[in-house]
Amino acid sequence: MGFFQSLGVGRIVFSSDTSEEQYREYGKGRITMDSCFPVKALAGHMGELLHKDINLLFVPMIYSLPSFLKGHVVDTLSCTRVMMSVENIKAGFLRERKEFEERGIAFVSPFVPFAEPELLPKYLWESLKEHIPGLTLEETARAVKEGFRALEDFERKMREKSLEIIRWCVKNNRPAILVLARPYHMDPGIGHDIDGEFQQYGFPVLWYNYLPLDDWLLEWLFSKEIRAGIIRSYFDISDVWTSSYSSNTNEIIWGAKFSARLPWITGVIRLSSYECGMDQPTFTPVQKIVESSGTLFFKFGELDETKPAGSVKIRVETIVYYLEKYSQDIIKKKLSRLGAVPSQLLV
Amino acid sequence: METKEFHYRAYRPRPFTKEERSKTTILFGGLTWKHERLIQGSLERMGYKSMPLPNIERQDLDIGKEFIDVGACCPTTFTAGNLARTLMTLREREGEEGVKNNYLFVTIGACGPCRFGQYHESYERVLEGLNLTDFRLFLLDLLQMEQSAPGGGLEISMPLTFGLVYSMFYGDLITDMEYAIRPYEVVEGSTDNMVRESVELLYERLKNRPIKGKKIDSLIWHVFTGYFVDALKEVRRLWDEIEVDRLRVKPKVKITGEFWLQTHEGDGNYNIKRWLEKEGAEVIPPPVAVWMDYLINMELFKLEDAKGFVKKYYLKKLAIGTIAGLYKMVYNRLRKALNNIPNPLPDQRKLKELARPYFHYRLTGGEGHMLIGKALYAYLNRQAHMICELSPYGCLPNTMSVGAMAKVLGDYPDLLYAPIEIKGDAEVHAYSRCQMILTEAKRRAKEEFEEVLERTGLTVEDIRNFEEDHPELRRATYKVPHYGYAGTASNYAMHIAKLMGRI
Repeated sequence: MGFFQSLGVGRIVFSSDTSEEQYREYGKGRITMDSCFPVKALAGHMGELLHKDINLLFVPMIYSLPSFLKGHVVDTLSCTRVMMSVENIKAGFLRERKEFEERGIAFVSPFVPFAEPELLPKYLWESLKEHIPGLTLEETARAVKEGFRALEDFERKMREKSLEIIRWCVKNNRPAILVLARPYHMDPGIGHDIDGEFQQYGFPVLWYNYLPLDDWLLEWLFSKEIRAGIIRSYFDISDVWTSSYSSNTNEIIWGAKFSARLPWITGVIRLSSYECGMDQPTFTPVQKIVESSGTLFFKFGELDETKPAGSVKIRVETIVYYLEKYSQDIIKKKLSRLGAVPSQLLV
Repeated sequence: METKEFHYRAYRPRPFTKEERSKTTILFGGLTWKHERLIQGSLERMGYKSMPLPNIERQDLDIGKEFIDVGACCPTTFTAGNLARTLMTLREREGEEGVKNNYLFVTIGACGPCRFGQYHESYERVLEGLNLTDFRLFLLDLLQMEQSAPGGGLEISMPLTFGLVYSMFYGDLITDMEYAIRPYEVVEGSTDNMVRESVELLYERLKNRPIKGKKIDSLIWHVFTGYFVDALKEVRRLWDEIEVDRLRVKPKVKITGEFWLQTHEGDGNYNIKRWLEKEGAEVIPPPVAVWMDYLINMELFKLEDAKGFVKKYYLKKLAIGTIAGLYKMVYNRLRKALNNIPNPLPDQRKLKELARPYFHYRLTGGEGHMLIGKALYAYLNRQAHMICELSPYGCLPNTMSVGAMAKVLGDYPDLLYAPIEIKGDAEVHAYSRCQMILTEAKRRAKEEFEEVLERTGLTVEDIRNFEEDHPELRRATYKVPHYGYAGTASNYAMHIAKLMGRI
C-alpha cells in the first residue's frame, strides 16, 4: 500500500481471504502441476481479481524477504514455490488464450528481491514503467522507501501488541500460545482459522514473526547463552539450525527458540500445509527445540483445501485440556531457569 | 514433565584430524557410478581413503521413509535411505565403534531455495535413528574452491577441486559417448564393456596425476595442461574398435529434470534411461557440467543486472566471463579428444532468452529456467524428437517449471514433452506415460528418415554398399555432422548422400 500510494495509484483492490469457493470458482483448472495448498490458492486469488474492476494485476515473484534476522543468518530467501508459482499459474491462464489481454488487464509480475536494495527498485520500475506513464527510477526508489516505512510501521505496531499480550499474561499469570507457521497461515482460508479456535477458549495467541524484539527482553532470555559462547547474538540460530538460507524457516526456528525460553508461552501450535517442502526438514528440530524446554508442542499438518472442521475442533479441545492442566507447572519451571523477571514486563 | 536438557542443539560432527586420514574412509554418493569412481581417483591422489555409497536401490526408499520426517522429496528419501543402508551394513560388519571411527560421510549443499541445501538435516535424522550421532557427517559448500571441515583432516584445496571438476567432466563425457553409441552397437555389450574399461583408465590417470602448485599455478596447470586431453585420446583409441550400425531408426529422447533425478542411473528414477533404450530410443543424458555452467553464468547475469550499482563492474565482469569462458574451453578440448562425439554445453545466454517469456531467469533453485530453455532449444534446433522431464515427487522448484511448460506447449503444440513424476515406487505409471509420447516420437523418427531417403534418392541398400567401401563410417568414434534432423539415422543418411555427392 505504501509503495503504490507513493506512486499516486488511486485505487488498490485486494483479493478476498482464501476460501473453497474462491478456489473452485476462479482457480480450478489454472494449476498446471500438483502443488502445495498456498500455491493452488494463489490461482483463485488471481482469478478473482480478473473479475474485478481493475486495469493492472500485480503479482510479484518474491525472491527474498525482509527479515529481522538479516545479518544473523546466511540468507533471507523465500520459498522456491512462493517465488516461482506466479510463472506456473500465469501459464494456466495463458495456455489456451490471452486471458489478461482479453479482459483489458495488464499482468505485471516483477522479480522482487528484498535483500538486494539496488535491484529492488530497478526490477519494479522495469515492470511498471510501461503501465504507469512517466514513471522514473528515482520515483520508484522513493516509493520503495515509503513501502519499507509502511512495513516497518506495521511490524512495530504488531510487535507492540505482542508485548502487550505477554504483559497481560505476566500480570494475570495466564499462559499464551505461540503459532509457528508460514505468514499465509494467517489467512483463515489457508490456516483454517485454527488460531481463532484457541482464542475462543481464552488463550491469547502470538505469531512467531511478530514477537517483541526489545533488547531488555531478549537479554533476559538469551544473554546466558551469549556469555557461554553458544550463540553470538540474540538472533543467532546456528546453535540449532546450520543452513539458514530461508527467511521464514529461519524465523520459525527463532520463534521456536523464543517459545522455549519465554515462561508464559506454554504451548506451541505448528501449522503446515500439504506438501510443504520447506517445512519438512524442520519438523523434528522445531519440535525438539520446543519440547526440550518442557513446552507443549502440537502440530496440525498437511492442511489443504478440504477443511475437516470437526476434527480440528476435537483436537483443539484436547490441546486446551493439556494446556490448562500443565501450563502453571510449565511457567514455574521455565521461570526457574531464568533470572528475575525484568521490571519492564511487570508493568 | 521432566526434560533431559534445557536446550536442543544442532548436530555438530566430531573433528576429523590429519592424523586420522590414513585410517578413515570417506563415504560419498549422489552421482552415477562412473562419476563416483572418478571422484574416488581424485580423492585418493590427495591422500584420502574413499568409498562411494552403493548404487541406489528400491529398498532405499523404504528405509529412508523410516528415518526422516514425512513429506520429503524423492531424492532426499532415496539418498537418506542409501546412507542408512550403508551404515547398517558397515555396523554389522565392523561394529558400532568401527563405523564411527573408520568412516565419515561427506555431502555437498548449496543455494538454499530448494531442499538441496538442507539434505543434511535428513541425514542427521538417519544418524539419530541409528543411534550413531557420533558418526561424522560433513556438509561442504558446492561453490567453494577451498574449504575445510572441523579438525583439518578434510581440506578442499585447489588441486583437489580441479581433480573433482575433471572427474565430473570425464564422467559426463563418457556417459555421453555411452548413450550415443550403445543403441547402435553391433556386438551387444561392447559399449558397456568399453565404459567400464574407460572409467578404469581415467580413474588411474586421475589417481596418478601430477600436483603442480597449490593456488594460481595449480589453476593455470589444470586449465592448459595436455595431461587430461591425452588420457581421453587413449580412451578414444579404445572406442575406435566398437562397430556401430547407425541405420537403426530410433527416436532421440532428451532427458531433463531435477538435477539428481535426471543424472541418476538406477532404481531412483526407475532406470528410465535404460528402459528408454530397451524401448528402442536413443537417449541424450544430461551432463552435470551444464548445471555448473548455469551456476557460473547466473553470477554473470546477476552482475549485468546490477550494472550501475557495482564497483569495478567491468573488472568483475571480465573475471566471471573469463571463468565461464575457460570452463567451456576446457570442456570443448576434452570433447575434441573424443572427436566431438559428446554433445557441447548449451549456450546459457540462449537458454535464458528462450525461457524468458515463460520463466524468469532469476528464479533459482533446482535448474530454474533451464528446464524450459533446454526443452525449447532441443525442439527448435532439432536435437531430439522428444523431451522426457523427470520430476521428483515433492520437489519444490521443479514442479513449478513443469507447470510453466503448459504455456510453452500452448505456443509449440508439436513439442513432444513427457513430464514424468517419479515417486520411486510407481514405475508402471511412469513408463506408461512415457510410452504414450514415445510412440509418437517413434513415428516422427521413422517419417523423418523416410523423408531423407526420398530427398536424397538413397536406399538403405545403397548406404550399406557405401559402408562396405568405407568401413571407418561404422566406427563408434566417427563423427556424423548435424544436418538439421533430430534422428541419428537421418543425419547419417544425409551424410552418406553428401559423401556420395548426392546433395
